Amino acid sequence: MKAEYKQRQASTLSRRKFLKVSVAAGAGLTLGIYLSGCQGSPTPTPPPTSPPAPAAIPEEAGLLEPNVYLTVDRRGIATIRSFRSEMGQGIRTAMAMIVAEELDVEWPAVRIEQSPTDPAYGNQVTGGSVSISQHYSILRQAGGAARQMLVTAAANRWRVEAKSCRTESGEVIHPDGEQRLSYGALVDAAAELPIPAQREVQLKDPQDFRIIGTPVPLYDAPQMVKGSAIYGSDVSVPNMLYATVARCPEFGGKVGSFEAASARAVAGVHDVIQIDSGIAVVADDTWAAIQGRAVLDITWQEGSYADWDSASIRQLLAKNAPQPGEAAADGGAALDAAYDIPYLAHATMEPMTCVADMRADRCEVWAPTQDPQAAKRRVGFITGLPQEAIIIHVPHLGGGFGRRLEVDYVVEAVQISQAVDAPIKLVWTREDDIQHDFYHPLSYNYVRAELDDTGRPAAMPGVRSHPMLFGVPTGYWRSIEHFTEAFARESFLDEIAARNNLDPHELRRELLPARASAVVDLAAAQAGWGSPLPEGWGRGIAYYATHGATHVAQVAEVSVAPDGAVRVHRVVCAVDCGTVVNPDTVKAQMEGGIVFGLTAALKAGITIKAGRTEQSNFHDYPLLRMDEMPVVEVHIVPSDEDPSGIGEMGVPPIAPAVANAIFAATGKRLRRLPIRAEDLRGA
Amino acid sequence: MATVPLNANGQAHSVEVSSDTPLLWVLRDTLGLTGTKYGCGIGACGACTVHLDGNAVRSCTLPVGQVGGRPITTIEGLSTDGDHPLQQAWLAENVSQCGYCQPGQIMAAAALVAENPNPSDADIDAAMSGNLCRCGTYQRIRRAIHRAAQEV
Ligand code: FES
Ligand code: FES
Repeated sequence: MKAEYKQRQASTLSRRKFLKVSVAAGAGLTLGIYLSGCQGSPTPTPPPTSPPAPAAIPEEAGLLEPNVYLTVDRRGIATIRSFRSEMGQGIRTAMAMIVAEELDVEWPAVRIEQSPTDPAYGNQVTGGSVSISQHYSILRQAGGAARQMLVTAAANRWRVEAKSCRTESGEVIHPDGEQRLSYGALVDAAAELPIPAQREVQLKDPQDFRIIGTPVPLYDAPQMVKGSAIYGSDVSVPNMLYATVARCPEFGGKVGSFEAASARAVAGVHDVIQIDSGIAVVADDTWAAIQGRAVLDITWQEGSYADWDSASIRQLLAKNAPQPGEAAADGGAALDAAYDIPYLAHATMEPMTCVADMRADRCEVWAPTQDPQAAKRRVGFITGLPQEAIIIHVPHLGGGFGRRLEVDYVVEAVQISQAVDAPIKLVWTREDDIQHDFYHPLSYNYVRAELDDTGRPAAMPGVRSHPMLFGVPTGYWRSIEHFTEAFARESFLDEIAARNNLDPHELRRELLPARASAVVDLAAAQAGWGSPLPEGWGRGIAYYATHGATHVAQVAEVSVAPDGAVRVHRVVCAVDCGTVVNPDTVKAQMEGGIVFGLTAALKAGITIKAGRTEQSNFHDYPLLRMDEMPVVEVHIVPSDEDPSGIGEMGVPPIAPAVANAIFAATGKRLRRLPIRAEDLRGA
Repeated sequence: MATVPLNANGQAHSVEVSSDTPLLWVLRDTLGLTGTKYGCGIGACGACTVHLDGNAVRSCTLPVGQVGGRPITTIEGLSTDGDHPLQQAWLAENVSQCGYCQPGQIMAAAALVAENPNPSDADIDAAMSGNLCRCGTYQRIRRAIHRAAQEV
């Protein structure tokens, strides 16, 4: 397995002969697409995370490789390269579905391999929920170009016109409707043909789609349930050592002095070294590295945030911001309110990790990262190696949520490997992960609206958000500031509705454009908005379009116990994300986004005390559990608009939907997250 | 360092490790059985769940020295080719997102259905609430367990 993994990663792009041309791609962006000579390419080794491939093809076999996105071999197997990181959002499967659709092959003939880190793919950042929306056309054209070449090869052989042939399930069909040639039989001839220019590629009529729009199971799922999918933490290379790092618990602090003798005395510990971020313990296995670190004696040098805590940060932010009540003081029919969001951790199920093998003249890295190109640049910067001497492999990510857009763990791993002159696996414990995150920032958020004489605002109220962006490290967290803005704006709309006796659903319909209103209507209708609920229950609604794309509305049904415990029973979610590539993935991402948002709404916040994070593991940074899981129903609005993202979009509406439902159940308005039982006791 | 006997997935091993090493790291680092995952190290997430004598245990808090020769089953040994009814049900319900927690989820569920072939929702809550999934696949896990129970 290990050898195979390395071998696979070392194959593909770099060893092949490429001719680079520039092709204009969608949205005014120009991507360099490499077009290959097609003979003599090495047979790609199937990835360890794919179903067993059919029998091996002969060494000398030809391969059709019209662009960097796919190859077709003599067995008719289409190998599609995912150039974005898989972290549970189903991107590998979705991108391959789009290519396979236009190539016109059956799904079982598809293999997926992870692409190299290469500018040929343009930007490889997996973030902002844009992998599909940015590449939908490019991927269709990539598959369509290959199909066109195969059709031409068949037409030439039959001496008929290419446009009189059609394709179906990996075969070209003769105009007589009888004769057929399989793609596998055509790859050698097709590989000799000129590659069609992008504008000449004939795309399918979406009416004829057979893969796009159908619920295709995740390609990697069979390996995941067998435990054979390879995550960053599972990568192993020969002679690899294991490393942990002790980092200053206080933000901005650094190592003063340290004493390594006790750590070195731990059985299995090889080395104790200083790197930029702290003191690394390098050992034979993970446990020895953890044990060695536990007995390190380090004197930290305090940074300038030693007296920071969450309350003082909040005070600092609110000090120069407008205060709730100002609207009332101004007289007239205005309303205002302020909402608080704490720091939030990503807590990916797989903590940060990275394998690095730094040599004198090259560096190879296995990084479960959302930004392999940033990793490559940073490694170049810290090692002085040229970019060609750096290889970044991207295994599966055990969750990302924006945390893995940072490459701090890559820098650490490379520095340690360089210092000990051996390949190492850097292991972060959960404590490291929770305490050294790039958090969703704590923020103070003020909203104000002028109301007309019916109590309605003229437009959607804007949120004035004041996040703390220095001191405590902050970063991208699934749905970023949209989470914050949705909680403030959608709670505030509910306050306006309550104050003026308006229906919260109706009020949103009045303020939203038609496409958004339709989503709100669908959620309300499916949830039975207005129908009676048991005593002590409440229903709340919220709508949000994260990144201005993808409309999501959610209705939550909750009950509140006398002790203040909140139970979310049911969430109805409606989503309009344009053309749907994989409806099952859309549903899964809405379900997952709701759970992610519920954890933030009900369970977990990060608090800072004495310049450091107070929480350290799941006992004090709890996640939503099975016994707290509501029933979630997802309804997709059919659409033939361009596809938009889904990875983050399920998150923002749920916290305000729940807070609004709590208000409906108890009459208590909650303006800070996470929602605490003590805020509701006896409500 | 000590020589510790281990019986994992029907295979006898003898490993050279310090006997306080949690079973998790012996499985992963020494035996290369990386299907069992690390999530917290304190018994609070279930990612490291394996079977010891057929019972679900958290391997991150179990010192290898306490295991003795008792049989251990990891996700790699649950079935010969991923064909345990739960693994099949997990695929049918398309449970996995990032998939990282799923080996632990499946091992916890396998211990549950071995003892209680037709678990109720309350039984599932009781048996599965110690297994966290940050991707939020709980609803599908529940469905997959019910589906597998019907098929056994
Ligand atoms: S790693 Fe063992 S319970 Fe979390
Ligand atoms: S599937 Fe990602 S943590 Fe469960």
